[in-house]
Amino acid sequence: MKRLIWILWPSFVVAGIAEAVFFTLIDPQELYLFGEPVQYSRAATYSIGFFAFWALCAASSAFTCFLQTGSRELNRCTPPQA
Amino acid sequence: MAQPAPKPAAAGAKVIPIKEDSLYESEKKIYARSVSGTFANWRWILVWITQAIFYGLCWLEWNGRQAVLFDIVERKFYLFGLVFWPQDVFYLAVLLIISALALFLFTAVAGRLFCGYACPQTVYTEIFMWVEKLFEGDRAARMKLDAAPLTADKLARKAGKHAVWVAIGLWTGFTFVGYFTPIKTLAASFAGWQLGPWETFWIFFYGFATWGNAGFMREQVCKYMCPYARFQGVMFDPDTLIVTYDAERGEPRGARSKKVDYKAAGKGDCVDCGICVQVCPTGIDIRNGLQYECIGCSACIDACDQVMDKMAYPRGLIRYSTEHALAEHWGRKEIVAHILRPRTLLYGAILSAIVIAAVTGLTLRQPLKVDVIRDRATLAREVEGGLIENVYRLQVMNLAEAPRRFALSVTGLEGIQIVTERVVEAPPASTQAVAVRVRVNPEAGKRGSNPIHFEVRALNHDEVFVREKASFLLP
Ligand code: SF4
Ligand code: SF4
Repeated sequence: MKRLIWILWPSFVVAGIAEAVFFTLIDPQELYLFGEPVQYSRAATYSIGFFAFWALCAASSAFTCFLQTGSRELNRCTPPQA
Repeated sequence: MAQPAPKPAAAGAKVIPIKEDSLYESEKKIYARSVSGTFANWRWILVWITQAIFYGLCWLEWNGRQAVLFDIVERKFYLFGLVFWPQDVFYLAVLLIISALALFLFTAVAGRLFCGYACPQTVYTEIFMWVEKLFEGDRAARMKLDAAPLTADKLARKAGKHAVWVAIGLWTGFTFVGYFTPIKTLAASFAGWQLGPWETFWIFFYGFATWGNAGFMREQVCKYMCPYARFQGVMFDPDTLIVTYDAERGEPRGARSKKVDYKAAGKGDCVDCGICVQVCPTGIDIRNGLQYECIGCSACIDACDQVMDKMAYPRGLIRYSTEHALAEHWGRKEIVAHILRPRTLLYGAILSAIVIAAVTGLTLRQPLKVDVIRDRATLAREVEGGLIENVYRLQVMNLAEAPRRFALSVTGLEGIQIVTERVVEAPPASTQAVAVRVRVNPEAGKRGSNPIHFEVRALNHDEVFVREKASFLLP
């Protein structure tokens, strides 16, 4: 749970900023997808764009989380008995 | 390839558990006791003001349209009499800078005022806790209810609470979406069950976030998710107003009988009733000193003042004060005198400078923008009479909320002329793209690129005038 929030929350914030900056500068109707102009409505493009940003940022957060695994966990030491 | 798990160093060696800094741990649920008092009243006033603005502003009309609307589909932002276009992103950046500076200033002067009174997290938590109290009673009743086995009564109370919470959440989500798509159309399509898929999705998404944050996450958002909570400390200094416990006066704390003179018994003013801890929404004990978890809500001030009243001690054992004031026994006058200090003056000066610059910029802003794009397909061609022709695309943006007619002209080379339509009609707040052909005698300039200027002037509004640079190619 803790990790999930670590991954999802910062990426949500950054995705929000990225979305705002990206779509202020670029009109979704001027985008091309696989060489074709984007067909979706603007509302759909914004929403899909947001989730794409979120997913990308979450991937980055997840990677950070993964690299933070301590040596203990990697060495698979027996967990301490409580 | 699977690796064999390394053996623990030595059999029987003691494994020392590493204590992890646990974030987002499943903490003990906090049952904040409700308070009344001066600061609680202030908080409720601010709840009313902020929510009246949030829920109400989107319904306000201006010039026959929604007064405040971030129309993302049309890519235009309406703010009362102003219309912003994506080209005005500069003003958005300025607005962000102003907000950040204002937050710095407030924080330096009076700590987490924003957190305690105006932050949406606080405001919705306050509303949700009020609903909770309505259905489940105050702290003790709620603790009992949660510990009790499931009965019809418990179920009814919980269900009622959640029904109201969900309703508030959805209304909030609806209002939120109403700032991005015209709310009246939204309401009409909602009434006819014809909401678009994305609108429905975002209403539920935001509604769910409200419900989760104000109903469950509560103080955890402030403690673990809010970036401001983590860095506000650097804006504090010894003259910042914070919620403080007067340890000198309160200690040694302890229970006492009203009959004996507690001072003679060597006791301080704190009766150690623990009420200040019970009311704290973040579950801390302010008597341990300032902690980053403290959102400055002053619930503990209200609570302790009531205890002091009951004991007939002077109020203010917990109060708004500053580090300096506490150490030097300053009164209100000295505290106020220390509000003006280099840090706040600096923040204030930068803030006012930017605000003045932004307002000036906005008032001087031309309600007209022009973009000139060269036609890339035809660079330059010779036409009848030996003249050279270049083709341009002019994007004329009428930012005014009235229809306008614009006159086009071109300067920069002798005898240069527009041979296409020289008047552009633009409906209110719209963009018109016009193809413009320009001709000139090749002797008028040098070979290659020659600088020219397009001039666009509003008819009947001489002051609305824009000059755009372009280049004319001569073969
Ligand atoms: S409410 Fe006041 S008297 Fe009671 S424990 Fe807190 S500081 Fe002491
Ligand atoms: S310590 Fe007092 S002011 Fe700080 S969060 Fe708790 S109740 Fe609010």
